[in-house]
Amino acid sequence: MAENILVIGGGPAGLNAATMLSEIGVKVTLVERDSFLGGNPKKFKYKFLFPDMQPADNVIGELIKKTETGSNIKVYYSSEISDFKEKGKKFDATIKSANGNETKTFDSVIVSTGFEHFDPARDAKYSYQLFDDVIDIKDLERMMGENNFVRPSNGQPPKNVAFILCVGSRDRHVGNQYCSRVCCTVSVKQAIELREHFPDCEVYIFYMDIRTYGFFEDLYWQAMEEHDVQIVKGRIAEITSGPDNTVVCKGEDTLLRGPFEIPFDMVVLASGMEGGPQSPEMSKKLGIELDEHGFLKPENVTLSPFKSNRPGIFLAGACTGPKAISDSITEGAAAAMNAYTYAVKNR
Amino acid sequence: MALEKQEHRPVAEKGEHIIARHLIEDDSIKEEKNLVIDGVDVSGRWNTFILSRVDAEYDRSFFREIKDTVVGSRINRCWQCGMCTASCTVTPLYRRFNPRAFIYMMQLGNLKELKKYIDVAWRCVGCYKCSQRCPKQVNPAEMMEALGLVIKKYFPEEVESKLKVDEDVKKIYDDMILGDGRLDLAKLHTSAMRKTGRTKELLGKIERDTIFKMAKDGRAFSILRLGKPRNWGKSKEAIENYLKNIKSIENSEN
Ligand SMILES: Cc1cc2nc3c(=O)[nH]c(=O)nc-3n(C[C@H](O)[C@H](O)[C@H](O)COP(=O)(O)OP(=O)(O)OC[C@H]3O[C@@H](n4cnc5c(N)ncnc54)[C@H](O)[C@@H]3O)c2cc1C
Ligand code: SF4
Ligand code: SF4
Ligand code: SF4
Repeated sequence: MAENILVIGGGPAGLNAATMLSEIGVKVTLVERDSFLGGNPKKFKYKFLFPDMQPADNVIGELIKKTETGSNIKVYYSSEISDFKEKGKKFDATIKSANGNETKTFDSVIVSTGFEHFDPARDAKYSYQLFDDVIDIKDLERMMGENNFVRPSNGQPPKNVAFILCVGSRDRHVGNQYCSRVCCTVSVKQAIELREHFPDCEVYIFYMDIRTYGFFEDLYWQAMEEHDVQIVKGRIAEITSGPDNTVVCKGEDTLLRGPFEIPFDMVVLASGMEGGPQSPEMSKKLGIELDEHGFLKPENVTLSPFKSNRPGIFLAGACTGPKAISDSITEGAAAAMNAYTYAVKNR
Repeated sequence: MALEKQEHRPVAEKGEHIIARHLIEDDSIKEEKNLVIDGVDVSGRWNTFILSRVDAEYDRSFFREIKDTVVGSRINRCWQCGMCTASCTVTPLYRRFNPRAFIYMMQLGNLKELKKYIDVAWRCVGCYKCSQRCPKQVNPAEMMEALGLVIKKYFPEEVESKLKVDEDVKKIYDDMILGDGRLDLAKLHTSAMRKTGRTKELLGKIERDTIFKMAKDGRAFSILRLGKPRNWGKSKEAIENYLKNIKSIENSEN
C-alpha cells in the first residue's frame, strides 16, 4: 500500500514537495488555505523573478501544472486543518473545506505555510495608506504584473521614485529584529525594471546596508552600473506630504552627515517577511515549536533545517524564516525525502 | 482686575507663542489673525501651523553631465566604500580632501556641499593609488579631474578668488623653466621663504647645517655645475610659442 503524506500550504515549497512525492508514487493530500495554488508569488502576481528575471510563470506556473496533473495528488482548496492528533507513529488530521470535514490518517506531514508580507500600515511613520503614492514592494510587484504602473494619486507616470529598505525588518520598534533577506534584492530588481520601462523616471534607494547576498549581488551592480540607480545612505524616519502633490522623505544622509527632506513623486517601501498568523496557528495545532521571530523553529537550524522538533512533522520554505524561492523549492525537496523516509520506516 | 485687562485681547504677533520662534522663518508660519470655525473662535495662536521644511529635489542633470565626460564616465559605479579616501596620499595631510565624499556630492548634484571644498578639491596629486584600490573600478583619480572641471565651471568666481595664482612665484617658475630648462630648487626655496617673511630662518641653524652638509658631500657643487639641457634653445622656443597660443585663445574667449 502506498504511503500517505499530508502537505499543508501550496506555495513553491509545498508544491515542489507534493510533486516530488507524487512522482515516486506516494499519495499526497495538499491542503491550501486559498482558492488557488502558488502561494505569495501567485497571490501578488510576481511577474519576473530575481535573480535572472525569468517569468514567474516558468517557475510557479510549472509547479502548479505539475501538481494539478499529478496522478497521486489530491488538492483541497480553501481548506484548513481543523483537528490534528497523533496516532501511534502516524497522524490523524481533519480537513475542513467547502465539502465538509474529512478525517484521514497520514504517515507523515510537511508544513509549508509560508510567510506574510509585513503590513507597512503598522509602522505609522511611513504613512502607508495615508498617501496614495506610498506603496510597497508587493504592491509594485502586482502593478508591474498587471502592466499598470502609474502614480495612484493621479494616474500619471512618476518622474522620480524612492525605495526605502528595511521596512518592518531590523527594527525593535516594530518587533522584528531579523533581516528579511529578499527585500534588498527585490528592490534592486524592481529598480532595474522601472528604469528599463520608464527611462525618464529617476530611481533612488535609501539604505542602511544593501544585502543582496551571494550572486544576487550581480543585480545590485547592474542597477547602479547599467541603469544609474542612485543609492543614498540613511533610513527614512518619516514620510510627509510635500509641495505639488509629492511625498517627502525625511532622513539623515549618514555619509554627508545632516538631515534631508527630499520630495518624490512616489515611494516604494521594501516591506519584509513575517511568520504571519499561520505560524503560531500551526505551532499550536500540530504541537511544534515557534521561534522568537514568529516563524516555525527547526529541530537544528544547521543540521536539519527541514525538520520540526516533533518526529514525523517536517518543515519547508518561508515558514521557517525569510528566504528566496530557490531555497524554498530546495527545502520542499528535502522535506519530501525526509517525510518519505519517516513514512517508510514506520510502515 | 485681571479680567479687565483681558477685555481687550492684545493682538499677538504672528507665531509669537512658538517656543524658539527665532528658529522658524516667517514664511513657514501660517496663522490667521481672525478665524472662527463652526462658531468657535480659533484666532491667532489657536490656528498656528508650521509648514514642514522641504529641500530641493535631487538634481540628476549634474550627474549626467559628469557621466558624459571621459574622466567621469564611471561615476554611477561608486558605492561609497571609502577605499579611495583610505588609500589617498593627500587625505592624511588635508583631511578635508575626501575623494569618496566628493564623488557622492557629484552623484547627488549637491553643489552646495561641494562649494565648501573649493580650496582643497584640487589637491589630488595624481598618484592613482585610489584607482588601484577601488573595488568597483570607478577610477576615482580621474573622478578628481572631473571634479576640478565642474568646480571651475560652476564656481568660476570662487575659484578665481580662492585659488589665485601667485604671480611672483609664477614668474620665478616661468623664468627658471624658460631660462634654464629646469627648476632650481634652492632658488625656489629661498624665494618662497622670503615671500612668507621667513628670511631670518634662512640664516638659521637648520639651513646652515644643510648647506654645510651639501657642501661636504659635493651635492652643492654638482647642482651649480648642472647646465641647461642640450639644444635648449629649440625647446624654449616651442614652449614660448605654446604659451603665446594659449594666451591668445584665452583672450579671444574673454
Ligand atoms: C515582494 C516579494 C518579491 C519576491 N520575489 C522573489 C523573486 O523574484 N525570486 C525569489 O526567489 N523569491 C522571491 N520572493 C520570495 C518568495 O516569495 C518566497 O521565497 C516564497 O514565496 C516562499 O514560498 P513558500 O511556499 O515557503 O511560502 P508562500 O509563498 O508564502 O506559500 C505558502 C502557502 O501556504 C498557504 N497557507 C498559509 N497558511 C495556511 C494554512 N494555515 N492552511 C493551509 N494553507 C496555508 C498560503 O495560502 C500559501 O499558498 C519574494 C518575496 C517578496 C516579499
Ligand atoms: S534584505 Fe535588505 S531591505 Fe530586507 S531586511 Fe535585509 S537589509 Fe533590510
Ligand atoms: S570610488 Fe571606488 S573606492 Fe572610492 S568610495 Fe567609490 S567605490 Fe569605493
Ligand atoms: S590619485 Fe589623487 S585622489 Fe587618488 S589617491 Fe592619489 S592623490 Fe588621492
